[in-house]
Amino acid sequence: MTTPEIDRTRLGALAEPASGDGRGDDVVFDVRDLSVSYSGNVALKDATLQVRENYVTAFIGPSGCGKSTFIRVFNRMNDLIDGARVEGTVLYHDRDLYGDGVDPVEVRRRIGMVFQKPNPFPKSIYDNIAFGPRVLGMKKGLDERVERALQSAALWDEVKDRLKENALGLSGGQQQRLCIARAIAVEPDVILMDEPASALDPISTSRIEDLIHDLKRSYTIVIVTHNMQQAARVADMTAFFSVEVRDDGGRHGVLVEYDRTTKIFTNPSDRRTEDYVTGRFG
Amino acid sequence: MARVEFQHALDTLEAALQDLGTVSLRAVRGALDALESQDVELCDEVIAFDDEIDDRYHRLEKMVAQLLALETPVAGDLRLVLAILHGGIHLERIGDQSVTIAKLTKLSATLQQRAGLVEGLHEMGERAEEMVRVALDSFASRDVARARSLVELDELIDRTNRRVAGQVLEFVDDPASAEWGMRMIVVSRCIERIGDNAVDIGEQTEFVVTGEFREFGDASH
Ligand SMILES: Nc1ncnc2c1ncn2[C@@H]1O[C@H](COP(=O)(O)OP(=O)(O)OP(=O)(O)O)[C@@H](O)[C@H]1O
Ligand SMILES: [Mg+2]
Repeated sequence: MTTPEIDRTRLGALAEPASGDGRGDDVVFDVRDLSVSYSGNVALKDATLQVRENYVTAFIGPSGCGKSTFIRVFNRMNDLIDGARVEGTVLYHDRDLYGDGVDPVEVRRRIGMVFQKPNPFPKSIYDNIAFGPRVLGMKKGLDERVERALQSAALWDEVKDRLKENALGLSGGQQQRLCIARAIAVEPDVILMDEPASALDPISTSRIEDLIHDLKRSYTIVIVTHNMQQAARVADMTAFFSVEVRDDGGRHGVLVEYDRTTKIFTNPSDRRTEDYVTGRFG
Repeated sequence: MARVEFQHALDTLEAALQDLGTVSLRAVRGALDALESQDVELCDEVIAFDDEIDDRYHRLEKMVAQLLALETPVAGDLRLVLAILHGGIHLERIGDQSVTIAKLTKLSATLQQRAGLVEGLHEMGERAEEMVRVALDSFASRDVARARSLVELDELIDRTNRRVAGQVLEFVDDPASAEWGMRMIVVSRCIERIGDNAVDIGEQTEFVVTGEFREFGDASH
């Protein structure tokens, strides 16, 4: 039997894997040789990666490898920590994020953050969402804005009849979605999430994961997670960080491997990644 | 090393694949012996033995399903589990080919054999058996080069298979041997398929080691 000659050029879309939905075409953050230290102690060394637009990018790695340190670089949260020093280049849409004349407050509006522990203000559900827009002078159509944010965070149906109630009366999972709604309300470009589901039960966790899938259509998302299956489920790209021990006994985080999530979880290039994702680490 | 239990489960799974390989090879040998000696009883044994192979395959499949559900293997572990499942499917098929050989042998047990062709089939059968052994060994030792050598072995079988039809045509006018000859064309094809299955297992070895899946040689075997 002979192999029939196949003219691949004529197969069109069949020959090429679908390029997807157009997400990921542009670079949002271009990070080069990033190092961060706290009072002279290096926490993260020489990390280089690009975060793509409308992608979910996951940071994984053992405790202390610098995931939170890194994610805080994206919205200049490290500026608020005494003794923190950021070196290297961080371009945000081709502009130097740490350049002169960049207003950290404006940065934090464009680049919102959701933390591990839900941290609503001890105010009404409505005021939690309305706070950011009010501060930023987005006072027009505030009710609609609050509703839209709650809808996007998949919380509207559960709270629409109790908007005046105190947010602290919500369940943990609801509080976390409220915090996501709060981040969305100021129309950010990027949402950073540092272990957003680690304090939640499995059902709330999967709601947050569904939410992330919805949100990536409109936002670029960077998420830190200790749950590797979560990274595998939600992320387009995954960065694996590890801790390196120096000769002087000090330890710092390094970026070991950054690639498509499917690659990281089916055929990682680095032995350390393989050991970590297969649970053979340590 | 962490995950000791998990590693143990992987080792058990791999042993189950080799075990399935051993019983499949036993079926091949039985079918080939029965073919040469036109031994109807042995044919029946080979046919009945297929349940044994199927059972083992289903057990393997169940172990894979459990491992995937409970341990969610990733990276090299995931590739190994998938490759074992694939390998298992191919071994089960080798069992099926042996059954077909046995059934055809039974149907033609009273017919006149032709010594030249029997010899050719015998040689082909031995090569196919050897290929299955190479496939299993190279999988166990993750020896990609050895797995790739299956392509050349397969080429030899393919060549013999192509000659069989011509040989049968030569004596097809002899009513005493014509029917036997027609059946042997299918037997030859079955042996050739066993070789193909061995090549497919070889491809799984490469997948486990490199993460790349490539068909060895041309896709049309
Ligand atoms: N505010 C801080 N002041 C001083 N050192 C800090 C500070 N935050 C982090 N570090 C140090 O930087 C290193 C990296 O910490 P980081 O919190 O970024 O790790 P992580 O990967 O997020 O860990 P985890 O998974 O436990 O959250 C650690 O050695 C930590 O002690
Ligand atoms: Mg952290």
